[in-house]
Amino acid sequence: MKLAELQSLFQAAVLTGDAEDGALLDVVAPPREADRPTMMGVYVNAYRLRLAEFLDEDFPALRVLLGDDDFEALVEAYIDENPSRLRNARWYATRLPEFMRESENWSANALAIGLALFERALTDAYDAADAPALSIETLAEFSPQDWPRLGFTFHPSLRLIEVAAGVLDAYAAATADEQDEERADEEDEGALEDRPSDASESETIAIWRADLDPAYRQLDPDEYLALFEAMAGQSFGDICQLVAFQNEGQSATERLARFLVTWFSEGLVIGVAEAK
Amino acid sequence: MKSLPRLGYGLGLRPVYYDEILSTRPPVDWFEIISENYMIPGGRPLAMLERFRADYPIVMHGVSMSLASTDPLDLDYLKALKTLADSIEPAWVSDHLAWTGVHGRNLHDLLPIPYTREALNHVVERISRVQDILKRRLVVENASTYVTFTQSEMPEWEFVARMAERADCLLLLDVNNVFVSGFNHGFDIDAFIEAVPADRVAQFHMAGHTDNETHLIDTHDQPIREEVWTLYERARRRFGDVSVMIERDDNFPPFSELLGELQRMRDIDAAIAADASRSAA
Repeated sequence: MKLAELQSLFQAAVLTGDAEDGALLDVVAPPREADRPTMMGVYVNAYRLRLAEFLDEDFPALRVLLGDDDFEALVEAYIDENPSRLRNARWYATRLPEFMRESENWSANALAIGLALFERALTDAYDAADAPALSIETLAEFSPQDWPRLGFTFHPSLRLIEVAAGVLDAYAAATADEQDEERADEEDEGALEDRPSDASESETIAIWRADLDPAYRQLDPDEYLALFEAMAGQSFGDICQLVAFQNEGQSATERLARFLVTWFSEGLVIGVAEAK
Repeated sequence: MKSLPRLGYGLGLRPVYYDEILSTRPPVDWFEIISENYMIPGGRPLAMLERFRADYPIVMHGVSMSLASTDPLDLDYLKALKTLADSIEPAWVSDHLAWTGVHGRNLHDLLPIPYTREALNHVVERISRVQDILKRRLVVENASTYVTFTQSEMPEWEFVARMAERADCLLLLDVNNVFVSGFNHGFDIDAFIEAVPADRVAQFHMAGHTDNETHLIDTHDQPIREEVWTLYERARRRFGDVSVMIERDDNFPPFSELLGELQRMRDIDAAIAADASRSAA
């Protein structure tokens, strides 16, 4: 049997979980003591265990939300339908939220899908590309009459997501279950303080990397829209016109200026340039 | 043959030990990284690697090169690997005598090959190409295996020796893998040690494994077992003071436990050196 044919046969046995594939076992030499299916089983079991570990590492809060049995059923289904085509295992689990959306068993669970989106954004923020943040003083380089034409570039780690209401509470509850309860409680308190109070069916969240650790903050709908447009390349003036701010009796320009100060202070802005 | 530096006694660089290493500056001569864990855009892992690299020699050890696969070489992977190597300037780059998948799939495991002339030609050609692309000599490790194939035409050690000579690569002798594979397949582990060309061995791996009675599994989650220490001593007497490190990838013990295993290596090596001095006198 040629090497290519042997490798195809071997891989098929691992992917189908068949450690007793007759055609393959015919070319496996007798082990010293164990039988051949037992030894092929080492590869078959290692394959699924390893892929499950990748999902476990990236979605610990989702496991808590779903419970072990449901999470493991999800993992098994994902592994069955998503054999890896990636050289680097870092990105194996990354399609889990889309898989849940497309799957009959999971598509109705908006909270679980939202939590999966949130945890993926945290993972992506952790090792996103580096870029030095600008300080607010950068704006002093531009005269006030130039402001309407200013456009902004944001840190590569920054992600905006709109998910079912309750995702951040579910995350806080899940991480509070972890051993380091004291630290988790502190983080929860901080996150809750920043959370807008209006009840709605969805919540909008910004996730990024602050220094070397992932950070996140719930955004009210106005700020979400403003940041979304700014990330899409709209200028300060265009965003003011696009976004009709309703709250707090402030002008759109004042509110957007306040948001901008926050974005600078959180290290989100890495570039400012006058649009042509 | 241009030899690689003798780095001494190293450990795997794992995030769980980052803080302790930075704060205590333990007596470790060098660190080995899993290359793929740092083949990412940015963030904490690369920032930490830069800090360690400033103070220690680093070796890059990969798990995804798939040297023995019949799929085409993954040039994007090799390019990314070279970018990382150009950035951190490792003492050397290593990977395994294994394949990880075919038909574009990746099983994320080190899979076994038949020790045939066909496989040897294939692997030699690929190592040569990888060395051309990376512009450095590759260090290739013997993997732990759980099955062998009836069509094998030579023992593993002969395959490894011929591969190293023909591809002009260097070898990473994983002492634990020799023991695990020898136990599983019933081959003579001393014959393995004797057959590997001494001038090609650039590094040793040491690690723990799991004993399932009828077979052993290379899990890297246990202390190094006594039988592997015995084989280490034999390897040391044959190959001299090549660089050595301990792989620990799960069930992480207090860092002091790994330092204890490194000290045991130093003690064994000192005793061998003392023997050699007495014989010379």
